Amino acid sequence: MEITKKDVELAAKLAKMKVSEREVAIYQEQLEALFKWVRELAAVNTDNVKLTNVNHCAHLRADVPTSDPALAAQLRSAFDEEQDHCAKVKKVL
Amino acid sequence: MMTVLEIVKAVSSGEKTAEQITRQSLAKIAELNPSINAFVEVFEADALARAKEVDAKRARGEKLGVLAGVPVAIKDNILYKGHKATCCSKMLENYVASYTSTVVERLLAADAVIIGRTNMDEFAMGSTNQTSVYGPVKNPVNLECVPGGSSGGSAAAVAAGMVPVALGTDTGGSVRQPAGFCGIVGIKPGYGRISRYGVIAFASSADQVGILTATVADSARVLEVLAGKDVHDSTSLDSPVPQYEHLFTDGLKGVKVGLPKGFLDGLRQDIKDKLNQAAARLKDMGAQLVDVDVPYAKYAAPCYYIITSAEASSNLGRYDGIRYGYADNQAKDLNTYYEGSRAPFGLEVKKRLIIGTYALTSERYEECFLKAMKVRELIREDFKKAFEQVDVLLTPTSPTTAFKLGQHDEDPLALYLADLYTCQGNIGGLAGVSVPFGKDGKGLPIGVQFYGPILKEEKILNAAYNLEKGL
Repeated sequence: MEITKKDVELAAKLAKMKVSEREVAIYQEQLEALFKWVRELAAVNTDNVKLTNVNHCAHLRADVPTSDPALAAQLRSAFDEEQDHCAKVKKVL
Repeated sequence: MMTVLEIVKAVSSGEKTAEQITRQSLAKIAELNPSINAFVEVFEADALARAKEVDAKRARGEKLGVLAGVPVAIKDNILYKGHKATCCSKMLENYVASYTSTVVERLLAADAVIIGRTNMDEFAMGSTNQTSVYGPVKNPVNLECVPGGSSGGSAAAVAAGMVPVALGTDTGGSVRQPAGFCGIVGIKPGYGRISRYGVIAFASSADQVGILTATVADSARVLEVLAGKDVHDSTSLDSPVPQYEHLFTDGLKGVKVGLPKGFLDGLRQDIKDKLNQAAARLKDMGAQLVDVDVPYAKYAAPCYYIITSAEASSNLGRYDGIRYGYADNQAKDLNTYYEGSRAPFGLEVKKRLIIGTYALTSERYEECFLKAMKVRELIREDFKKAFEQVDVLLTPTSPTTAFKLGQHDEDPLALYLADLYTCQGNIGGLAGVSVPFGKDGKGLPIGVQFYGPILKEEKILNAAYNLEKGL
């Protein structure tokens, strides 16, 4: 995973930032050192690791019923699938 | 400066007025801030008005809050309606908060007095407080040294006796590391214990508000006020908040203190010696020392820099001149408008945004970001297993004591390593507290750290309280 000047320029462009040639040179050197360190992670076996939430209370489905069942049904109908009276969205990851 | 508990007692009993305490704090700031640069703005008129309200409340015979008359400094990334919050960045130089953060609301409800906003590394990215647009903060213990960061202004303000308590934020050690460098107490509760509503985001899965005070009991009192569920932050945890001070014990009989294997390898000898002394002291107080294995913790730092930079690249996307931040009104088209509007970011912020964006590119996503996220899971599992065996873990706070301003400017990796022992807590979502434990040969403070599981802040506070008491 060698970091080139092009990599730095591309990432800066994606981040909508203008960087000078001098900055590109500095960042390339510093990123190279950092990513050498990151490469150590490759040695860790993560084959069976599943991602979980940062804490166990985040992003739970609210169990508060809507005050307008007709509106709720209308909103659910906009989705392809429904489960337990909730709209089911496609898995992203 | 009196401690938090002393101030509350004095104000509640009428021995001192909140106005007197506030004026003392303002005088100390006026005397010392020109040489330390801890505060970027002092809310003098507001603070005095607020103090008078507290005094009037007492005069009416109303019950005072548990922080009655206590002057509190807030880091420049915490919102207080009608006051500037700039993250010490040119990007937000004229931003005025349009609402108040939950932490400030809770402080005010407890009758505290918000005294001003403190200096910090730009957007909380740094561990020296040298990347602030307002200039560096000096360590009150030795003005040639850094105070640590990113909450360096908050730590310096408490260490210099300008205020008895300051709030900081801790994404990779930004409360505990400066606490260690300045010789004070710094606690970062477990992720979700304190609401992040109204705190300007850096890396949302690691950011947490922390508390800096002179004593452990003071930190416990402030944590009691700040902790608890907040409807405005879905990641805040819904769990009862204990009166931490009431859970302090005399000694540590029956407490199991874990010593992570390999943590001291390569550590500076004087810091290693201090840690061993701290362990021996805990044993004398009745604690049982247990060696524990946390094999993946050594990977926390690279995980931290990938994950937090990636989250920052997303969070700081809002500073585009349209939604927030500086607007380049001279630009001729949309692309140059964005580039011009994002130009005020400093070098360190730009670098982290580049790291984060690079790690999220389709070519690098799996080997960088996803890999770091999976290793994070292993680290969390490591700590979970460790806390099945022990109550708390004892570690160094930092691998060094405070160093000279500018010393590592050419070697950012050396600066990143300053977070080695603290970023594990953010990656694991743990509760961590740094407590001062002696000094090095140059008279610079050495901090030791206790880690505890999420929602068990009382365990680390009690261990720290006993260690502090034994000094």
